[in-house]
Amino acid sequence: MRHPVDARRPAIYLVVGVVLALGAALLGGPAATGAPAGPAPAPQAAAPAQPAPACTEVRESLRPRGPLPAPGAMPAGSTMAAIAQRGRLIAGVDQGKFLTGYRNSLTGTLEGSDIDVVHTIAKAIFGDPQRVQFVVLNIADRATALERDQVDVVVNNFTVTCERQRTVEFSAPYMPASQRLLVPLGSGIREVEDLGGRTVCTSLGSTTEVVLRDLGLQVETLPGIPDCVLEMQRGRVAAVSSDDVILAGLAAQDPNTRVVGRALDTARYAVGMRPDEPDLVRFVNGVLEAARADGSLAASNRFWYTGRLDPVPPPPPPVYRD
Amino acid sequence: MSLDLESTTRPPASGAGSGLRRRLRVLATGPTTPDRLRRVGAVLVLGCLLAGVFSLVDGSARTGAVRDGGTRIAAVHADAAEMYRSLADADAMATSGFVSGGQEPAQLRARYDRDIADTTARLVHAAGLLPADDPAAPAIAPISAQLPVYTGLVESARTLNRLGYPLGQSNLDSASRLMAREILPAADELRALQATALTDAFGRAASTPFAVLLIGLAALAAVVDAAVRERRRTQRVLSVGLTAAAAAVVVMLLWWVVATSVASGRLGDAERHSGVADTLDDARAAVLQARSNESLVLVARGGGAADTGFTTAIDGVLGTTTEPGLLAAAADAAEPATDDRIAAVRTAADEWRTAHRTLRELDDGGLYREAVASATGEDPGGSGAAFDRLGGVLGETIDAERAAFRAASDAAAAALTGLAVGPAVLALVAAAAAAYGIGQRAEEYR
Repeated sequence: MRHPVDARRPAIYLVVGVVLALGAALLGGPAATGAPAGPAPAPQAAAPAQPAPACTEVRESLRPRGPLPAPGAMPAGSTMAAIAQRGRLIAGVDQGKFLTGYRNSLTGTLEGSDIDVVHTIAKAIFGDPQRVQFVVLNIADRATALERDQVDVVVNNFTVTCERQRTVEFSAPYMPASQRLLVPLGSGIREVEDLGGRTVCTSLGSTTEVVLRDLGLQVETLPGIPDCVLEMQRGRVAAVSSDDVILAGLAAQDPNTRVVGRALDTARYAVGMRPDEPDLVRFVNGVLEAARADGSLAASNRFWYTGRLDPVPPPPPPVYRD
Repeated sequence: MSLDLESTTRPPASGAGSGLRRRLRVLATGPTTPDRLRRVGAVLVLGCLLAGVFSLVDGSARTGAVRDGGTRIAAVHADAAEMYRSLADADAMATSGFVSGGQEPAQLRARYDRDIADTTARLVHAAGLLPADDPAAPAIAPISAQLPVYTGLVESARTLNRLGYPLGQSNLDSASRLMAREILPAADELRALQATALTDAFGRAASTPFAVLLIGLAALAAVVDAAVRERRRTQRVLSVGLTAAAAAVVVMLLWWVVATSVASGRLGDAERHSGVADTLDDARAAVLQARSNESLVLVARGGGAADTGFTTAIDGVLGTTTEPGLLAAAADAAEPATDDRIAAVRTAADEWRTAHRTLRELDDGGLYREAVASATGEDPGGSGAAFDRLGGVLGETIDAERAAFRAASDAAAAALTGLAVGPAVLALVAAAAAAYGIGQRAEEYR
């Protein structure tokens, strides 16, 4: 028999309650916090272009046929007629190379020796040198822009190489260049041998990269030569290597640098076009011949490089494969 | 039978100072009715006190969480969102300033300066609110470390640009890369971490209080059971003390149920507003990204092919035939009252996209100067003006959502006012009343 007064039942209620409550408190705790996913790492710059197998035989360009057609009267059915029909020449250029192809920030217009060549071609087609749409290209995108039909011509320190001739038909060269070094004043570097294992910087996908690697140097590649100069100003690379024409423009912007060293390589700049448009190539060669003959090509080079390159590069004489 | 198992096995205590122990032993094992009654009373008092302790602990945790979430975490979250906006805006302004060439338009420069000042102020504010061991603290470091580098590059770019040197453009590109790859991701991470912390805090505050309710119900069951049995045994009216104890426990339980269910509703509102504001923040970031891209394509003269950056960003906002887009997501989550505002944002975004297409047609058609005029806002029907209008509408909508968030989280905090102390006091009252009720009955046996 049970006594009517008994602490057992209230105690059982409590014990059950406490057990359940403790369980709820432990399980319902703020434990369910998933680790938040961090932002995905920024994509890294593309790997440097692999140098293709050696290929040394550089083809010469195509000879102009007959006299140049008068501006505004392009032969029917020709590539030039299609450009005239469109109303503007689309040219792939650079806007960051002082003296060669750069944007004059005071006027907002593109200027430089390469830009002069574009205006000369536009003038020959339209009679108006300003009928141009400029498309700024990264060094590495020059050939691709032609392949993808984004531009009619590339005038952007485009060096003739046999490797590029697989996809690009070049005009006759309009300017010679030699690859040298840009170094800080007082760095003591006069030749590549003085680098002593320190890094030299050049642009991604350029011919200079191959030359530097063949010399066994420590090379860093960036999207453009100006990016390399920023790195050199910050002391992260010891020197910048590129064509003397380009380096002269950089030295002109930073008086604390100078162009030094022997010619590591020589190059010739030409207008890049599509191989399936030989009529345009012959036409542009005709335009360049006229510019050589009337001295306007040499005058343009003198205007941009006097006092900055010694000697001012003379337009090389044309050679054709016919 | 009673809970006296251990006392029976223990040898009887002896010697001085054992009076208290003897009384406890009587309380635990005494066979008489008053002893048994006192045992019941002790269990009831213990139960009510336990319920009070649970209530105090849980209530403090909840009010703390809602205060922390509604003020500190929400503030850092808002800081991070504003930082992201002002950083992206600063970059858009810096690149826009270069579109016009030569001298940077004064209003763009002023807006850039304001953006940088805002970022710095937000950075200091957020850093002050984050404890050193907060998981979000490391996200602050890259912002404060890289921001001076960024502004340094932009200043060099300006100087070189004024001198007419294209190296300025390289500095600007370098600055934009730093912003896009390091600074903005850090601000975004900070914002994401705070959004998670806010959800956690509100989740803790709004969860059903099972522990308190269970132990409260157990205490109530024990008190009611004791009261009913006493009434049956003594064949008298209900004990006043036990009835008062039961009533106090009931009120305490009701307080908990009402306070947490009201708070839970408000916190749900708050989270919804915060989520809509976050989605619209993402939309604003995408719009600024599209604007930077528009400017960079003009500055770099990349032509129509480089315009995909704009299209991708604006499609993310407005949606495509396959993807609903951020504005649709915001409208889905928002209250019907906000739909008008979001519709206004959509209209403004549509207008900007149209203006941008016109700009691209101008540029691709060789009319570069006209395209630049459209972008810089000289042309009131152009892209720059449409972008400013969109930014204004978007900003107002986001501000309204943040204000609604604050109102709802304040209401939630108000609903939880006193939850830590009030029910605990009621539990104390219940314990005292139970002790009194049982004590009265036990006295009758003297």
